[in-house]
Amino acid sequence: MLVRRIASLSKGLYVLLCFAFFYTPIFVTMIFSFNSSKSLTKFTGFSLRWYTQLIENSEIMSAVWVSVSVAALATAISTVLGTITAIGLSKSRKIIKEWLTNINNIPIMNPEIVTAIGLMLLFSAMKFEKGYLTMLLAHISFCTPYVITSVYPKVRGLDVNIANAAMDLGATPFQALTKVIVPMIKPGITAGMLLAFTMSFDDFVISYFVSGNGVMNISMIVYNMTKRTNPTINALSTIVIVVIFVAVLVVNVIPKLKNKKGRKINEKNI
Amino acid sequence: MRYFKNLVKPYIAWTAVMIVIPIFMMLLYSITNSGNSLVNIQFTFENFKRFTEPVYLSVFIKSIKLGLITVVICLVLGYALAYIISQFKESTQGVLILLVTIPMWINMLLRTYAWISLLSDNGIINAFLDKLGIGPIKMMYTDFAVMIGQICDFLPFMIIPIHTSLSKMDKSYVEAAYDLGANPVQTFFKVVFKLSIPGVLNGIIMVFLLSISTFVIPKLLGGGQYVLIGNLIESQFVSVGDWNFGSALSIVLAGIILFAIKWMKKIDTGEN
Amino acid sequence: MNTLIELKNITKTFDDQQVLKGINLKINENEFLTLLGPSGCGKTTTLRIIAGFDEADSGELLFDGIEISKLPPYKREVNTVFQKYALFPHLNVAENIAFGLNIKKTDKTVVVQKVEKMLELVGLSGFEKRDVTSLSGGQQQRVAIARALINEPKVLLLDEPLGALDARLRKEMQTELKKIQKEVGITFIYVTHDQEEALSMSDTVVVMNDGYIQQIGTPTDVYNEPENRFVASFIGESNIIKGTMIRDCLVSFDGFEFECVDKGFKENEEIEVVLRPEDIDIVKPENAKIKGTVESVVFKGVHYEIMVRTELRSYMIHTTDFFEVGLDVGLTFGPEDIHVMWKMV
Repeated sequence: MLVRRIASLSKGLYVLLCFAFFYTPIFVTMIFSFNSSKSLTKFTGFSLRWYTQLIENSEIMSAVWVSVSVAALATAISTVLGTITAIGLSKSRKIIKEWLTNINNIPIMNPEIVTAIGLMLLFSAMKFEKGYLTMLLAHISFCTPYVITSVYPKVRGLDVNIANAAMDLGATPFQALTKVIVPMIKPGITAGMLLAFTMSFDDFVISYFVSGNGVMNISMIVYNMTKRTNPTINALSTIVIVVIFVAVLVVNVIPKLKNKKGRKINEKNI
Repeated sequence: MRYFKNLVKPYIAWTAVMIVIPIFMMLLYSITNSGNSLVNIQFTFENFKRFTEPVYLSVFIKSIKLGLITVVICLVLGYALAYIISQFKESTQGVLILLVTIPMWINMLLRTYAWISLLSDNGIINAFLDKLGIGPIKMMYTDFAVMIGQICDFLPFMIIPIHTSLSKMDKSYVEAAYDLGANPVQTFFKVVFKLSIPGVLNGIIMVFLLSISTFVIPKLLGGGQYVLIGNLIESQFVSVGDWNFGSALSIVLAGIILFAIKWMKKIDTGEN
Repeated sequence: MNTLIELKNITKTFDDQQVLKGINLKINENEFLTLLGPSGCGKTTTLRIIAGFDEADSGELLFDGIEISKLPPYKREVNTVFQKYALFPHLNVAENIAFGLNIKKTDKTVVVQKVEKMLELVGLSGFEKRDVTSLSGGQQQRVAIARALINEPKVLLLDEPLGALDARLRKEMQTELKKIQKEVGITFIYVTHDQEEALSMSDTVVVMNDGYIQQIGTPTDVYNEPENRFVASFIGESNIIKGTMIRDCLVSFDGFEFECVDKGFKENEEIEVVLRPEDIDIVKPENAKIKGTVESVVFKGVHYEIMVRTELRSYMIHTTDFFEVGLDVGLTFGPEDIHVMWKMV
C-alpha cells in the first residue's frame, strides 16, 4: 500500500511540475502586467498604467486590428475553399486525389520559414507590394491545407449514396451540398475553422517575411518590441491569454454541457 | 458524382500558384547567382558549395544537435506525462489534455517573451536564487535559455500524439500481457511502448521540425549572436540580401526535414 | 474430482452498482464449466476476478486451497482467451504465442518446438510468420487459444470467445474447443450468453442473473429441472404457469390437479410450473383435462410451433404434426413433463 501511495504521489507531483513549467511564464506575465513600476522582479503595486499605455499606443492597436481581421478573413476564405475542395476531392479520380493530398501536405510538413520564403519570392516576382494583401493571401495559403486535412476524413466517412439519396428526393446538386453534405461534416469544418483561426492569429514567421510597409500583426510587433523590456507587451499578452483561455473553454465546455443536457433528456424519455 | 468533381478545380489552380510555383522559384534562386532580379540568369552550384564552408556547416551541425537534444528531452518528459495522463479516468484525461493544449493556442512569441522576465540576470529566478544566497546565474543568451524556450513551446507537440496512441490503445492488451505472466515493467516495454511507437514517431517529427527551423526562440532567448539555421536563412533575406544563398539554405533545410520524415516512416513500417 | 477453484461469497460493486451480490462456486479439475447469463449478469466480472484483472470487494477466492485475491494476474496459474482476442498487433503469430514463454526466459529451441506443437493443436501449422492482423476471425481465435495454452495453465478462462464469429464458424469452433479441452485435460471456464453454446459444450452450467447464481447443474439438469422462472425462461422456450403444490407428487394449476414427480415442497405452497413446448401433446378434446382452440400455426423447419388458446392462457406447443387453425383440441402431458419450481419473489 505504501509503495502504491508513494508512486501515485510522485506521479501527481510530476504532472504538477510539468504544468508549472507550462504555466509559470504565462502567470508571471499576467501578474506583472498589473505592476506599477517597470520592474520585472519586484511587484511594487497594482496599477493599470500599462493597459492605458497599450490602448494609447496606436501602433499596437493597429497590429491587433491586423491580426484579428487577417485571421477572420483568412479563416472564412480557407474554410470555404478547404471544404469544397475536400468534398470535390472525395469524388475525384485516384491520381488527382494522390497528387493533391501530397501537394496539400507540403505546407504542413515544410518548416514555416521555407514556406514563408517561397511565398516571399513569389510575391516579389509578381511585383506585389508587400503589405496587408500579401499577408492575407499567405495566410489563406497555409490555413487551407489544415482545413482540408480536418474536413476530408469526415467526407470520406460519409455514405457514398448520401448525395444521390438527396438528389433522388428532388434536391439540386447545390441543395444536396448545402442541406445534406455540409451539415453532416460540420464537426470537421468547425475543427478546421478553429485550427485555421489560431494558425493565422499566432503566425509570426510567414507574416514576418511576406508583410511590409509598416503592416504588422501582433506577433511582429512583439518581435520588434522585445529589444527592451516593455511591460506594455505583458498587458497585451494578458489580454490575448485571457481571450484565448475563455475561447478554448467555451469551445470545449459548451458541447459537453449540451451532451449532458441531451443525455438527461434521453434518460427522461426512457 | 460528376456534380462535385469540379469543386476541386479552384484549389488545384490555387496550389499551383501558391505552393508549386514558390518551390520552383526557390529552386531557381538556389541554382542561379543573378542577385535579386531575374533579368540575366546564370546557373551555378556556388550557393550549395558555399554551404559546406565551415562557418555555415557548423551552424547546421549546431542546429541539428540542438534539435536532437530537444527531441530527446521532450520525448522523455513528454512520454512520462502522456503515460501518466493516460492512466487517469477519461474525464480527467480530457481536462489535463486541454491544459496541455491551451498554451499551444497562445501566441508563441508571447510565450517566449514571457521567459525573458524569468531568466534574465535581474529576473525572477535569479531574484529567488539571490534570497537563497546563491549568486546570480547567467541564463539569458545561453544554450540553456534556448533549450528551455524550445522545450516549453514544443513539448505539447510530443505529448498530444503519444497520449492519443496510448489512450486509444485497447486495455485488453495490457491485461493479456499480465495474463501471460509479464510484470508491469515487462508489460510496459514489451507491449505498451511498442504499440505507442506511431505516436512517438509523430511527436519526434513534429518537435524536430519545429526546433530545427525556429529562428524566434534563439533570437529572443539566445541573443543576436546566437545563430541557428533559421537565423542564418533570415539574415540572408532580411539583412544580407543574398536571396540565392538563402534559397539554397532553405532547400537544404527542407531536405533535412524530408529525410527525417522518410527515416521515421521507415522505422514505423519496419516495426510492424 | 478435486476442487481447484473456490469462490466464497464474492461481491463486487462498480460505480454504486452491485454487479456481484455474493457468488459461491466450486470449480473442479478437468471440468468444462460455463457461466451463462444475459449481459450485465456478472459473468464476465466473475471471470475477471478469477483472472485477477478485477479485485472482489469482499469474499474469498481459493486456488488449490490457497487464498489468491491479492495475487496479481501475472503470478496466477490461469490464462485467458479475450473476447476480441487481444493479440499483440506488433508481433507475428509465433511471437504472440511465444510471448508467455519469452517472458519466462525459456530456452529458444524449446520455445520454437512448443510453438510448433501448439500451432498443430489448434490447426494452424505453417502460420508462424504470419501477421496477426491479416488472419480471419477464426484463425485469430485459434492463435489466442494457443497463446494461452502454451503456458500450461491449470485453468483456461474464455470470455465469450466465439462472440465475434459468424454462426457457421461458431458451431465449428464449439466442437474444436471441446476437443482441445479433452486433449489438454485442464479446466475451462467459459463465459457466454448463448444458451445453446452452453448446453452443447459444458460439463457444468452456472446460470447467472442480476449478480446471483440462479442454478448450477449439468446441461440436462438446467434444461429439464430449472429451479426458477428465470432459468426456465432463459434456457429454451417454456410455458410458465402459476400453481399450488397440494402435496408431494400432486400439483394444481389452471383449475385441474395433475400428478407429478416433484417432492419437498410445503403443502399448498404457491409454486410455478414449467411445461416445455415439446413435452405437450395435442389430442382430441375429450381425451384431455385442458381444452382449447388452435390459435396460430408457424412452420419452423423441423417442427410446427402451435399456439393453443385455452380459457386462461395460450400454450406454446412444438410438434411435427399439423393442426388447422380454429380446431378444438385437448392438451396432455405426463407426470415427468411437469417441472415444479420455487416461485420467484
